[in-house]
Amino acid sequence: MTYVGKSIPRNDGFDKATGLGIFTQDVALPNMLFGKVLRSPYAHAKVISIDTSAAEALPGVEAVCTFENTTNKPFNTSATMITTNPGAEPVRDQRVFTGEPLYIGDEIAAVAAVTEKIAEDAVKLIKVEYEVLPAVFDPLEAMKPEAPDVQPEFGCKEHKNVCGEIVEFGIGDIGKGFEEAEVIVEADIELPRVKQAQMETHGAVASYKANGTLEVYSPTQTPHPTKMILAYALDMPESKIHVQNPPYVGGGFGVRIGLSGKAEILAAVLSMKALKPVKIQYSREEDFLASDTRHGGYLHCRLGAKKDGTFVALDTTAWLNTGAYATFGVELLGVCGACGTAGTYRVPNMHYKGFPIYTHQQTAGAFRGFGTPQGTAVVEAAVDKMAQKLGMDLLELRKMNTTKPDDKNWFPFPVGSVAINECIDKAAEGIGWKEKRGKAQSGNIRRGVGIACGTHVSNAAPFCVDYDAVYLRIEQDGSLHIGTGIPEIGPGSTTALIQVACDLLGVPFDTAVMKFGDTAAAPFDIGSHATRTLYAVSQVIRDAAEKIRKDIFEYAADFMGVPADKLDMSEGIIFGEGKEYPLSRLAYEAHLRGKQFFAAECKVPPNSLPWYAQAAEVEVDMELGIVKVIKIVSAHDVGKVVNPRLCEGQIEGGVLQGVGYAVREEMTYVDGKGFYNKGFHKYMLPTADDRPEIVPIMIESNDPAGVMGIKGIGEVGLCATVPAVLSAVEDATGVRFDAVPLVPGRVIDGFKKAGLIK
Amino acid sequence: MEKLNVTVNGKFMSVDVDPELCLADFLRDRLFLTGTKIGCGKGECGACTVIMDGKAVTSCIIPVMRAEGSVIETIEGVSDGDKLHPIQEEFINKGAIQCGFCTPGMIMSSKALLDRNNDPTADEVKEALGGNICRCTGYVKIEEAVMSAAERMRNGETSK
Ligand code: FES
Ligand code: FES
Repeated sequence: MTYVGKSIPRNDGFDKATGLGIFTQDVALPNMLFGKVLRSPYAHAKVISIDTSAAEALPGVEAVCTFENTTNKPFNTSATMITTNPGAEPVRDQRVFTGEPLYIGDEIAAVAAVTEKIAEDAVKLIKVEYEVLPAVFDPLEAMKPEAPDVQPEFGCKEHKNVCGEIVEFGIGDIGKGFEEAEVIVEADIELPRVKQAQMETHGAVASYKANGTLEVYSPTQTPHPTKMILAYALDMPESKIHVQNPPYVGGGFGVRIGLSGKAEILAAVLSMKALKPVKIQYSREEDFLASDTRHGGYLHCRLGAKKDGTFVALDTTAWLNTGAYATFGVELLGVCGACGTAGTYRVPNMHYKGFPIYTHQQTAGAFRGFGTPQGTAVVEAAVDKMAQKLGMDLLELRKMNTTKPDDKNWFPFPVGSVAINECIDKAAEGIGWKEKRGKAQSGNIRRGVGIACGTHVSNAAPFCVDYDAVYLRIEQDGSLHIGTGIPEIGPGSTTALIQVACDLLGVPFDTAVMKFGDTAAAPFDIGSHATRTLYAVSQVIRDAAEKIRKDIFEYAADFMGVPADKLDMSEGIIFGEGKEYPLSRLAYEAHLRGKQFFAAECKVPPNSLPWYAQAAEVEVDMELGIVKVIKIVSAHDVGKVVNPRLCEGQIEGGVLQGVGYAVREEMTYVDGKGFYNKGFHKYMLPTADDRPEIVPIMIESNDPAGVMGIKGIGEVGLCATVPAVLSAVEDATGVRFDAVPLVPGRVIDGFKKAGLIK
Repeated sequence: MEKLNVTVNGKFMSVDVDPELCLADFLRDRLFLTGTKIGCGKGECGACTVIMDGKAVTSCIIPVMRAEGSVIETIEGVSDGDKLHPIQEEFINKGAIQCGFCTPGMIMSSKALLDRNNDPTADEVKEALGGNICRCTGYVKIEEAVMSAAERMRNGETSK
């Protein structure tokens, strides 16, 4: 392989390092207006009256849209709206605007005006009278019979305020499993909402023309699904909607799988009214308070084992706060169970039940890991407890129970290659496990190490609709052009994919380009999410590459006088039986005869399990309750490394998000006022000056289902950080916390409860 | 409208501006220097960092008239035509860029540091970047890039 395995600098580096790369924020169209949104100040209310006359009269205002004059067709802003498998119905519980707001921030109306300032002023001129209604914020409270209904139409029949349906599955016989168990432990965890805090806020520019066409620029992670959502909600033909990234996207982490907040559709309805392009750029406060977060909530896990440590039963329940609207609620609870609880260990009797619970808070949706961090946090806590109860080594207990290559576990596809035990060994070794774990300490500053492990998926198939289409073409000078709808949201997938494509085809990297993030660039592509981009798109590129090579060799056979099946190609030189012919020349000769080499393919990917183990070292200030994460060693079974530096980048970035989740980040809800975290000064993201040392380790297990052995990596850098840090803090202090983030207040409380301090 | 005399990326200009504007909006909306990004508009993320009279500043909270008589350098002025500055090259080569939204601000903060101290300690780099948030990279490769750019600058390399 010429390119796979090399740290080739990313091909969008020039654009991004010079400031010349265009993001949605930078898009401006002739005649463009600016949109601003009126949001509900109440968590649950009914609009009694709305008067927009003063806003409409303000000079410079060109459109005012409200729930009264805008389509109220129900839809779902998330991609699940159009990726729910045949037979199942997506939950369509949102509208563009609402007359019955369900959280503080819900959209009531919007204005488009010639300047942002005028639009802002006009929003303030809209008079709304509300009747405030009772609201519920905690998921467990929301399930009580006396709780107010959040979405009565979409609630499950048997359980109050459960969105759609309960997610429940298992293998074996859980009752029998616990009967067989000789040792049983239980673990609980309470997890906060945390925010993606991608650096580019939600936004979109939409341009509707009176001829019925809609052009949209946005940072969506899923241009094709976004086009379908808009077409459905606005009753337009999909063919008349064009959605594109401009082409760069200032981060995603799941927050824009589907619409970017609601920016595309808000800009679209304003543009339809004004018949001019409209730009909506969320303020950071709107981004924090009116777009999806990670699901917080409660999880409980019961684990049963034989005395020798063999796991025989695992039962987990999750009650997660999905907020006012479904978006990904049901799917996320599924992944929490499937990847977070069912995947890591071979347990013959496994059961999982997940409750996605509606509350009158802002919606929780997709955030890197998508349920896996939550499930992993509680299962790994139970495994640590089991080790203590059995008096076994944490590492040994894990390694004897992890899934093995030929196991048939819960996943509806082969387990594939499994290097999780190697991940555990490497992570432990990297952190200095032998020397550091279990050292009794006294004094004010104490250190400890901990570990956790898990798995995830490399795309969403077969759980959701999941496929890509690409087309490859050889330009008339022999250079490669790849057309896809997949976005580049930051990982460098569009560089790594060109590396894969060039090796598969046998053409040079320097002249190859990939068009991405555009519904007009290629047929349907589900988008960049679920750790799938490199994994899934390389699958379809492989098929297209085979086709195009066949075509090239058949055409070359005549020119070279060598049978097609004796030909091969490398670096753009076709060769066989001692003869060589440059592709550049063949492509031009073909052009002169009216032919271009191209191939299109469309495919549902298989799936592969990315295994990982993370070891953490922490330092705890016993008096001040400060937990400092000093080092994280994150070992990953990535199948095959395509671009080492980019792959490390995925791990490092993920790890720091995990560290934030464990010790700093939290969306704090103040009853009646909403979330307190309106900006970066009130939401504590890790920064350069307080980050731990991060050691990424990549292990190649060559997955049989992946192209060249590739598995996904995008999401898994943070999936085990919370339990690894909790385990390390327990090692340092003897106290096992069952909630995060470990901010000083919580830590001090925990020490008091444990009697360590007064 | 007021008259603003300012040098941006080496070019002096005297322009009428709305004094209500912040420097970032002036750069982005008036001069179309959209490489300067807005991540918060409140001085809390560093995405809008430019160099003003040799110092890294968050341009989103600077009233445009504060730039009167100043010399401003934005990300668009860091390279010399097609010759990238060592900081830009090291950001690309070391993998310090992912989504790229924080990148212009990061590069400007790094440049302000390295222009006055091309032999910084790891802590000095962390401190110089302390006001720049990156949600993608975990900062590891950004710090590496700044360190190796510093080395190249010590050897006399610049873009200009
Ligand atoms: S945009 Fe200026 S500091 Fe965030
Ligand atoms: S590269 Fe995305 S925020 Fe830094």
